[in-house]
Amino acid sequence: MSKGKVIKSQMLGATQKLKNEMGRHYLAIEQAYREGKPVAWATSGTPVELLYAMDVQPSLPENSATISAAQKYSQNFIEVAEDAGYSYDLCSYFKTNMGVTLTKTTDLGKGGIRKPTFMLSSDVICDTHVDWFQVQAERFKVPHFTIDVPHVVSNTTNKQKNYYKKYVKEQLWEFLDFMSDILGYEMDMEKAKEVANNSWDLSMVWQDIYKLRKNIPSPVSTKDTFGGLFPLFTMPGLKTPIKLYKRMYKEAKQRVDSGVGALEEENYRLMFEGIPFWYNLKFFNFLEQWGAIIVYEPYTYSFSKFMNPDITKDMIVSNPVESMAELMLSFWYIYDLKTRIKKFEETVKEYNIDGVILHNNMSCRPNSCGQYDLKKHLMDDFDIPCLIIDADMNDPRKLNTTQVTNKLESFIELLRERKKR
Amino acid sequence: MTKIAIVDSGVDTPEEILMAADIIPFRFFGDPSLNITKANEHVPPNHCIWARNLLERALNGLDADIKGLITTHGCDCTNREFDIWLECVDLDFMYFLNAPLKRDKAAIKFFVDDMKELIQQLETKFNVKITKEKITEAIKLTNKIRNLLKEISEYRSKMVLKGSEFHEIVKKVQQEDKKQTLAMLENKLEELKNKETFPEKMKRILLTGSVIDDSEFIKNLETLGLQVVMDDICIGTRYFWDSIEENGDPIKALSKYHLKKPIYSTKIPSLQRFDNLKHFTEKYEVDGVLNVAQKFCEPILYDHPHMSKAFKALEIPYLFVEIEYSRESFKQLATRFEAFAEMIGGK
Repeated sequence: MSKGKVIKSQMLGATQKLKNEMGRHYLAIEQAYREGKPVAWATSGTPVELLYAMDVQPSLPENSATISAAQKYSQNFIEVAEDAGYSYDLCSYFKTNMGVTLTKTTDLGKGGIRKPTFMLSSDVICDTHVDWFQVQAERFKVPHFTIDVPHVVSNTTNKQKNYYKKYVKEQLWEFLDFMSDILGYEMDMEKAKEVANNSWDLSMVWQDIYKLRKNIPSPVSTKDTFGGLFPLFTMPGLKTPIKLYKRMYKEAKQRVDSGVGALEEENYRLMFEGIPFWYNLKFFNFLEQWGAIIVYEPYTYSFSKFMNPDITKDMIVSNPVESMAELMLSFWYIYDLKTRIKKFEETVKEYNIDGVILHNNMSCRPNSCGQYDLKKHLMDDFDIPCLIIDADMNDPRKLNTTQVTNKLESFIELLRERKKR
Repeated sequence: MTKIAIVDSGVDTPEEILMAADIIPFRFFGDPSLNITKANEHVPPNHCIWARNLLERALNGLDADIKGLITTHGCDCTNREFDIWLECVDLDFMYFLNAPLKRDKAAIKFFVDDMKELIQQLETKFNVKITKEKITEAIKLTNKIRNLLKEISEYRSKMVLKGSEFHEIVKKVQQEDKKQTLAMLENKLEELKNKETFPEKMKRILLTGSVIDDSEFIKNLETLGLQVVMDDICIGTRYFWDSIEENGDPIKALSKYHLKKPIYSTKIPSLQRFDNLKHFTEKYEVDGVLNVAQKFCEPILYDHPHMSKAFKALEIPYLFVEIEYSRESFKQLATRFEAFAEMIGGK
């Protein structure tokens, strides 16, 4: 098919400041190490807020792994891990982190990371998180706490969810005891409330930014959201990222008010399910030549965790520990298939989406599981065009650029034909 | 009699609850000779090959006496695929049992809650009453079965009973009416007491790894001179090694039993699985350890480098293989197994 003129989407000016914000985060980690302050590794989906409330500096290896990928180091680290016996088929975040560890890489610019005081993991997203930290805790000889989150399926009842919550709550209190034993002090509840308050505010601004994406043309593209999501899971509880998000919102709102989009000419509005290819983010710009823009990603939206309408700010702030249990059980990224289909259908309508691209991520089986049925329902029941592409979030060897490009070209052609109807 | 199929990537389903409802717990196994087509429409190609096979079997149609299904929380694949089963497998009763990942006090309490919910849903669906007395009665029966299996298992090490035959026995116990299997096991034990050792000399292997439900795989090892004298797999010792407390609250006893027995790779801290394996290598004087992962079986893939290093430190020969769930790969694997058999000593 013929391609249109090359139009580059405009990143928000405020997003450019993200580098500084994340730089401050890494500096805080480095400083904590140097000053001998407690640092904890945490997997995404865990209540990082409780670490901030206990004056523990969080460090998220997944986030570091994305930097390795963006800086083109991940393949090297992955291959080091594979040489040590970790299978080609295992999670590429894990192997990047393992390669970093085995090569003793501490350069933060390469995704380097240091030995933590302790580790916090959870199976809320995947068992890999738990296996990963188990292996690393054994290697570093540091304590490791896991929050076991029962798996919610399509026929889980509310009654079941209630005792699931009870189990998670009990573990959250145990986690506080675990930290107190290591740190020698208790959590300051006032500080916990302040952190919860900031975390709520951060998430709400992010959700507001998302709401602006409903506008046609969308003022925000993945250039703002793929990287922009990082503060949500590395810094929930701090004030500074709220300011950044507010600036992003203000600028995006100005674009909406003036009828300006991130793309000069917006022809197709897309949804992208899954984790992006961090080693090749430019690949997403490829869509822009046809005036196609991604306006919704469940992945980047899901980390604005406070989206359960039954949860209010008051509840979070007055009960900053136990409220985390509810959130861990109602996380967008782990929705059961039935809820996932419903949410996709609603989102497609709300955001005027023309088509859905689903990333069958070789590294994230929990996320890719159910995608075939999701696609079938969206196409058969709701007439929503869908495309599945096979790749990997951190391992460039698993992205066949030519094959994926061809698929995308055909998909855009299909959308174009539909527009003609 | 009504049967309920069990999909379990570990072995953490409390069969006794079903038995107390006069339902036969029917552990669902794969069929390596199956040509996979329908399951491929639901599951991406890089997902557990064994779980895909189970789905294909279910999509091809279940026996008429199977009236329901329990999937027990194990690995990521079987967990997430439960929703797919809900979508496309035609059964009126489907329960996801959240066997906890952890094994502490809070986990034991939680598992009790989830088992109580299972009981309630079974009672409503099948119009039965599952009393604590009936569960205790079932526990007493399965304890007898476990003890018999444990005794019979020893004849593998005595080179009297082939590992593959024992594997078939354990499979049978996991699928048939327990009262009948009790009699079968008693007879088998009597028969073994008078049996001679094998005439051929075989190397002594400890088998570990993923769920291995194809006895032919073990038979294939035997043709290459490798006898599985001990295992820590789910269709093996993990099914019967410990006994359940017969006094006190039976649901709590079931919870404690499942969370206190030797750990499997789907639980945390799974690296402790090595301790049990080490104990077995010493007690059963094995010549080597064989760790078998079904293709894409993440729990085993994560544990393997630790196992490899730990066995190396003990100077115990260790072989890790990834297998396709198909007998066509036996010939290809034979080369590796033969080399391993040659490498390891014979006691």
